[in-house]
Amino acid sequence: MSTALVTGATSGIGLEFARQLAARGNTVVLVARTEARLSEVAAEIEAAHGVRAEVLVADLADRTDVDRVAERARSADTVVNNAGFGMRRRFLDNDLAVEEEMFDVMCRAVLVICHAAGRAMKERGRGQIINVSSVAGWLTSGTYSADKSWVTVFSESLSGELAASGVRITALCPGFVRTEFHGRADISTAAIPDRAWLDAREVVRGCLRDADKQKVLSVPGVLYKGVALAARVAPRRLVRRSGGAVARARQSS
Amino acid sequence: MTTALITGATSGIGLEFARQLGARGHDLVLVALEADRLEQLRGEFTEAYGVRVETLRVDLSVRAEVERVADRARTVDVLVNNAGFGLRKWFLENERAAEEALLDVLCRAVLVVSHAAGRGMRERGRGTIINVASAAGWVAGGTYSAAKSWVIAFSESLAAETAGTGVTVTVVCPGFVRTEFHERSGISVDKLPERMWLDAPRVVRAALADAGKGKVISVPGRIYQGLVVLARVAPRRFVRSGGALTKHRPPLR
Repeated sequence: MSTALVTGATSGIGLEFARQLAARGNTVVLVARTEARLSEVAAEIEAAHGVRAEVLVADLADRTDVDRVAERARSADTVVNNAGFGMRRRFLDNDLAVEEEMFDVMCRAVLVICHAAGRAMKERGRGQIINVSSVAGWLTSGTYSADKSWVTVFSESLSGELAASGVRITALCPGFVRTEFHGRADISTAAIPDRAWLDAREVVRGCLRDADKQKVLSVPGVLYKGVALAARVAPRRLVRRSGGAVARARQSS
Repeated sequence: MTTALITGATSGIGLEFARQLGARGHDLVLVALEADRLEQLRGEFTEAYGVRVETLRVDLSVRAEVERVADRARTVDVLVNNAGFGLRKWFLENERAAEEALLDVLCRAVLVVSHAAGRGMRERGRGTIINVASAAGWVAGGTYSAAKSWVIAFSESLAAETAGTGVTVTVVCPGFVRTEFHERSGISVDKLPERMWLDAPRVVRAALADAGKGKVISVPGRIYQGLVVLARVAPRRFVRSGGALTKHRPPLR
């Protein structure tokens, strides 16, 4: 019986990963901050897929909590580092504490959990880590971009390090996905056209398929494959200009 | 009278920034780990350039000490986030504490100090922030690459955010520079061809010239300007850990 641990498992992309990994027959370990919501999701998954769903209440901005998750991740066969959030305000207008919280959840927690899980998987000669990043990692729309750039490059590097070990690493780099993400961050999405939206189920299905094929980067949707390519070949000046435009659009309400 | 604060100011690129900014008549705030060396440089620079020199002995991997630097940075005109180090071994072979220290010094300290300095500068309507990243930030050669890609995306985003405020942000992406960096990290660079080496005075001259022109990305040396373009457009499997890129690390087991 294999086990899959998913962070940020009670909503959006994380919830979808939990569901699809359970549907594949994995015992799931659901990590999130709110116990009540975790129990609800666990009950739903157990009923729907007939697998065991374990809950782990943890705030990934809290270093001690991250250690508990890392400890549990050691014996997992699949780890999905998904937890994260966005912010409406720009860096200098934001409180530093909030910026550090974002950095802790999106970078430090991924580093610590991957270190624990990666070592254990390497020793067992098998395992799978999926880090949820974003196309924003190739753009310049604030600290979110910086954090996701870290996640993408970190994942690519780790996949190289583990290439011969039987452990596979995939970074998922979606664009806009219909989840609670934007509403929670109070980010305006009025300016985003319909065709730019991705469906979480599709995104996760594609990512698990890509991970099975040992693809290191999973970019869902033709539109965002184009964005990713354009971000790499375009002069950085243009990338920055579009990044600035996106940042301003997010704030318009 | 203007003041420049430089982190990692006692060796390599940071030391060179201190010299050239001192020679331009800026008062200096030197931030580093080694008290003796700081004291020695204070005497040297006071005499050589006739500027006021302050020193701050801090360990940037300790959060409380970063705060002291951030406090001082609020009123400076020029900020150079330079402090950093490399790790010889692979991510999973390194102690987790060492990897967290790398992330804290290379990313978190930059986040915290830039937030304080950036707000002060924006309020005064002028200021220069120079973040020292690396050409390694454009490839995926380990956690150093990941951290430097964070610095690049962070700097580019901050440059876009402060555009039009009188504050400029420049990110320096050098290749191999002759400093103590590689020896200290235990990184073997014996086989690197002569033409791949840059010297610190030249890197810093180019960085200050680019910052003066408001250029966001400063890549010193023709070779590296070409390599950065190549690294961006090359298929990612050619720029991942495990190949030619990570020859300086111990063989993968």
